[in-house]
Order: sequence, then C-alpha cells, then structure tokens
Amino acid sequence: MKQLSGAVHDLASELVSALRGGDHSVAGTTGSLGGDEALTVAAVRTLGADVLLPSTLLRRPAPEPDVAVCRAAVHAYPPGPQSSPTVAWSHWAMERALARVSATPPPSDPPGASGPPGGPDPADDAGPVPDVTALREASWQALTHQLSVLAALAVPGADSAVAAEAARRPVDVSRGFVRAIRRRDWLQAAGAGRWLAVVDGVPATLGLDAGLRFALRMGGADARVALHVHAALLMRASDTPRVAAPGHGSGA
Amino acid sequence: MTEPSDIAVMHEVGDRAIAWLHRNQDGFRPRQDETTSDFEVKDRLKPIGELALIGKVLFREGVAGSRQAALTRQLLDTAWRDHLDGGTILTWMQQQEPLSPIPFEIYVPFHELGYEEPAFEATLRSVHTLESWSAMETPPVRRLGISAFERRFGLPRSISTEAATAATWLGRRPEPWTVEMNVGYAITHTVFHLTDWGENPGGLPAELAEYLTQWLPAWVDDWLDIGHWDLLGELLVVDACLPTPTLDPAAWRGFAEAQTEDGAMPAQRGTLPEGRREDVFDALYHPTLVAAFASVLATSRAMGDLRAPAGSGAA
Repeated sequence: MKQLSGAVHDLASELVSALRGGDHSVAGTTGSLGGDEALTVAAVRTLGADVLLPSTLLRRPAPEPDVAVCRAAVHAYPPGPQSSPTVAWSHWAMERALARVSATPPPSDPPGASGPPGGPDPADDAGPVPDVTALREASWQALTHQLSVLAALAVPGADSAVAAEAARRPVDVSRGFVRAIRRRDWLQAAGAGRWLAVVDGVPATLGLDAGLRFALRMGGADARVALHVHAALLMRASDTPRVAAPGHGSGA
Repeated sequence: MTEPSDIAVMHEVGDRAIAWLHRNQDGFRPRQDETTSDFEVKDRLKPIGELALIGKVLFREGVAGSRQAALTRQLLDTAWRDHLDGGTILTWMQQQEPLSPIPFEIYVPFHELGYEEPAFEATLRSVHTLESWSAMETPPVRRLGISAFERRFGLPRSISTEAATAATWLGRRPEPWTVEMNVGYAITHTVFHLTDWGENPGGLPAELAEYLTQWLPAWVDDWLDIGHWDLLGELLVVDACLPTPTLDPAAWRGFAEAQTEDGAMPAQRGTLPEGRREDVFDALYHPTLVAAFASVLATSRAMGDLRAPAGSGAA
C-alpha cells in the first residue's frame, strides 16, 4: 500500500499548508491528489475528520469538493460489526464533522460564534455513538496510544465520550506524551500532544509547547506528525474552548 | 493498597540480593593482592562507600528481617575492619589527596554506625576550613551530596541545601521528556542526597515530590522496557521516597524476573558477565546493591501502608 501512504502523506501536507494559511484553492485540499478517485477516497478515510480540519479550526466554509469526497469516504468504508472501537470512533468523527460543516454559519458571522445559538446541534444527527469502555479501563500507556490514533477527535470544544476520557486523565496522557517522545514515536507524541492542547490540567512542567515543537523538529518529515503539531499549536495559540471533564457539564 | 503477594515479590528481591552481596563480599576488598596499584585501590573505595550508605539503610530498616540485618551488619563490619583496615585506608588516601571528598563521603555513614578513626576526623576538620574545599569544582549533584554529608557529620555547610538543590537538573524541574540515562542518574542521586538515602523522605521539597510524582511513572515504564535494571532499581528507590509511592507491581515483577538464580542483579537485560571473578563482581555489585536498597525501602513503605489505619492509605 505504498501508493496509499504516499497519498496520505500528500493529503496531510496539503492540510498542513492550509492550516498554516497557505493558498487553498477552490478545488479543496483533496483536489491535489490527482485523478485517482478510489485512492483519494482511501486517503481521506485514513485521515478521517482531519480532512475538514482547516474549516473547523479556521472557521471558514469547507470547499465543496472536500465535503463531497469525505461523504464518499464515509459511504465507502462503513464500520462493520467486527470493527474496533477506534475505527468506529474515527467514522463517527467524520460523520460529525460532515454534519458540522454542513451547518457552518455564513462567513459574515463574527469569529468565535461557534455553533448555533440555540436549538439542537446539527452534528447530533451523526450515527450511533461507539463504545468507550476499553478506553476508560486502559492503562495510561494504552490510553495514550488509543487517543493518539484518534487525535482527529481532538478539536475545539470536542464533546465526544473519547474527549471526556482525555479530559478526565490529563496527567496520564501527559505521561504518555513523555513516553512517546522518549521512544521517538513522533506520531504518537504529536497525537497525544494535540489532545493535551484541548484539555485542562496538563502539568506546567511538561513543557507542552516546547515538546510539540521538538516532535515537529525531529519527526515533522512525517506529514501526519506535522498536521497534529500544527493543529495543536493553532489551538494553543487561540483561546480554544477546552474539553470538559465528565461531571462538568459535558453536552455529549 | 499494595497486595501482600506484591510485597512478597519486593521483599524476595532484597533477601536474595543481600545474600549474594554477603557471599561475594570479598569483592569489596580494595587491594586484591600486591599487584593492585594505589590508583586502583582508591578507585575501589567507591563500592565500599556505596555499600556503607545503602548498608546503613538496610540495617536500620526494621522490615529487613533479622537474618538480613545480621548479614548486613557482618558486611559492614567486614568492610570497616578488614577492607578499610579500621579506617586507615581512608586516612591513607586523605594523606595523598587531602581535598578529595571521597574518603569523607565514605567515612560519614560508617561514623553514623558507630565506627571511628580520630586521626581522619582531625585532618578532615582542618581541611574543611579551607576556602579550596568549598571552591572545589564538582557537578551540582555532587556538590549537593557534599553539603548533605557536611550536615550529617555536623560540619559548617559549604553551601546550603536550597542553593545546592537549585543548581541540579532536578532542582530546575525541566521538560520530563528530555530525560536520558545520565540525567536519570542525576535525578536519583539528587533524591538520595535530599532524603539521606531514603532515611528521611521528608527532606524532599514539596515541589520536587510533586514533579517526581507526575513524571516518575513514565521513566519507570521506559527503563523497565529498555531493561536497564541498574537505573530502574534507582528509580524504584526514588518511588519509595515519594509521599505516595506507586510501588508499581508491573515494574517490580519485571525487576524481580531480571534477578539471577543466585541473587545477583544484572546491570542490563542480556548482559550477564563472565570471566574473572573480580570482573564479574565489578559488573554486578552495583545493580545488586541497588536492588537490595530498592527492596528494603519499598517493602518498608508497603508494610507501612498495610499498618496504616483504613482510609489513610494511598488512593
């Protein structure tokens, strides 16, 4: 699947460019992958909800081609009864992101007015909510690994049960971040660091910003690492709404 | 709460390690025969210093059991009377290198156990007044150690604990993901000096205890995985010095499984030394001593938790 990994790399690089304010054509991020539609759809499914991350973080409408290919990916790779919770959650996040961008307020709305002022969240139309039991019972090492795989769910104001688990255990995820960097597992470090960017209670001595930049410096050749780090730094720089820990009024 | 079976694992490690040290105590002898150079004799004082510091803790901890305490007392007695020739080897080195802190660092724990060499002490008190003693260039963690030994021995301090701690790596509480092996040893020794080698856990400043509580589990996991038993053992000592030790059962099981049949602890996974008896001893004595040290402190803390009234134990 070298072709797929190459496509994933190219797509992640385009997303990094979009996050950093690079030229973002009307053809959308996914338009850069060329004509192989099946490959594009597979690459989009691999990166999941992150394909729509620029519109989520920069609060602008998603290019229609990106939305279309995300829809195609959701339909092409539905989770089956044997799918792991990770796959199910990743699918759930894509559906949720699609529901959100479909309800994106017009660009004239002031930044910061995230979400509709009242009424049901249109994203609640996303499919059934997957299970989080395994995550809840995981050791801090396994928790960090799983959260890192699901880093696309680490977005401002995330209210999934996965995000609630991350918010409940900030010190455990911080330890996992230390462990990942020590092991030179830059992708896991970047994913864990992205979660730490959206939760409260991260010990100040972790040096999260420096750690994110270190992971980018050492492992940024992997575009997925760069994507998570840039997402994290962007969320750290803006006054991102934090994920509420369970019992603190989560709207899940 | 630590399970009784977990306590048994910890205790067994120390029991077997002390038995190995006792069987191999001749290896601590600084002058093996007439061919041993003076340089080598001085170099071989380091293991005796470590034996004294750790042996004192083993001896004092009630949980070690009467057999362990008796073996340890014999080890220390042999080290002082035989290996150090009643302290005269320390005096000999002091004559050659009056400003070296090494004989002083070895003398302090023996002195605390009741051994004495008046000639050594008289010279020490004289040399200690020199400006050069305080000005000696040493790594920060060593300077902290000298300061701690001055306190223990009742000498005026060449630097305060606070100032010495602030200069160490741990004292600055840097990014925990930057810890490499040499930093790991600097951390463990900073904790050893601040707690009088585990005798006084309260000597650890609250902000350092909090920092270690947060990050030590990540380091323990890492060196368990790497299979570096020497540093893992020292990290397990640090854990036992914290206000709420984890006494991590997985780490202790891995550590216990690394111990050889005869009680020796290899320094690293897959590196069991062979060859000359002296070389085997040199490769094994330190991790084995550390294993005994970690075992006795962890067992003591676990037993303390068991004895604590319900509701007052670790969460």
